[in-house]
Amino acid sequence: MPHIDFFIFFRLVLEIVVGIYATAVTLQSVYGWYVYLQGGDRYLSMIRRYLLVHGLRVRFKTFWGDVVVSILLSVALVILWHAHTVLAEGVVLQNAGRIIQPH
Amino acid sequence: MPDESSNLTERQIVPIAATEGLMPDRQLSELPRDELGHLAEDLGLDPTRFKTAPLLVAAIHQRRQLIADLDRDAMLDVVRWGRRPVPIDSSKERIAVEIARIKSMKFSGLSQRGLMALARLRDIGVTETEPAPVPVLIRKLRKQEGIFQRFNRRRRSFLGSIVAGIVGENDSTADYKFLPPSPTDGERPVATGSATIKEEIEQSGLIGGISNRIKRTADQYLNQKLDEIEARIDRKLDEIDRRLAEWRDREIANRIRILKITLWASVIVAIVSLIYSYVTTYLTK
Repeated sequence: MPHIDFFIFFRLVLEIVVGIYATAVTLQSVYGWYVYLQGGDRYLSMIRRYLLVHGLRVRFKTFWGDVVVSILLSVALVILWHAHTVLAEGVVLQNAGRIIQPH
Repeated sequence: MPDESSNLTERQIVPIAATEGLMPDRQLSELPRDELGHLAEDLGLDPTRFKTAPLLVAAIHQRRQLIADLDRDAMLDVVRWGRRPVPIDSSKERIAVEIARIKSMKFSGLSQRGLMALARLRDIGVTETEPAPVPVLIRKLRKQEGIFQRFNRRRRSFLGSIVAGIVGENDSTADYKFLPPSPTDGERPVATGSATIKEEIEQSGLIGGISNRIKRTADQYLNQKLDEIEARIDRKLDEIDRRLAEWRDREIANRIRILKITLWASVIVAIVSLIYSYVTTYLTK
């Protein structure tokens, strides 16, 4: 019977479920907006321009702190990911050493 | 596809506003008799004096040449004296149309050049080359009026003073706005003050004077109300725009906060996972 690590299993399932869910919801929303704003109606043209104007008028001062924290957290996440990779490589090397030099 | 030739014919018979002086000579002779009559009246001519259309066309041509010869500043003097609301950059023909509507016979305050222009437009026998003195010009203008017309004017003036007394209207000199600037695109022309009700009745008769006054008052009221509505709509639009901008900023801030929380959770799980992997790999074996 294969040995199952429940923590690794939970992590893998969470990654798959949340990843698929987030991707599906994001793509669905983006496609909906794309189809809506593609319309040739006179009013939709006005809405497109209005959205563009609002995009340019966004005041970053109101949320720039959160943006900086999010960027730093993203960097930390990448570093942790790299640490996982290094650890996994260490495990592989350790196993290889055991195979080459048995007791 | 519409027929080009029929469209052309339709375009040709549509009369252009005579007051702007845009009608080419080529079209003038093609106008129907009643349109020619209106145009002649606008320019201060009596169309009943001309029996045939060609005679009327010739008279209109002649009148236009006369207007082109007149001094613009002298015409503006007349407009100022007659208290007509004319945009300052109006064409000569437009000013002449307004002058033709002035029926006043009280010439006090009118300059000599203005009197000359008025006399020429009222077909008094004066020429630009021989400028007459002011008393002579006034005498000629009064003589042209005729006994019956003068009598009717006096009668209307009397009626006007009675009505003004009943209404209790004072002199409206203060609210007269001389030569307002031309209204820009989308802007309504400003209703300006004009003569007193007594003068209006003297010029247009009892019913005409009162109806003119009512019309102008109604116009002023409407313009004022429209301005108020426009200002209210502008205020509402500004309010909507401000609220939308607030909602936009709040929404973006919320989304970024949610993203930040998600990232925190991911980082914490990643740290726990790393510690777990390290412990299970190096410490438990």
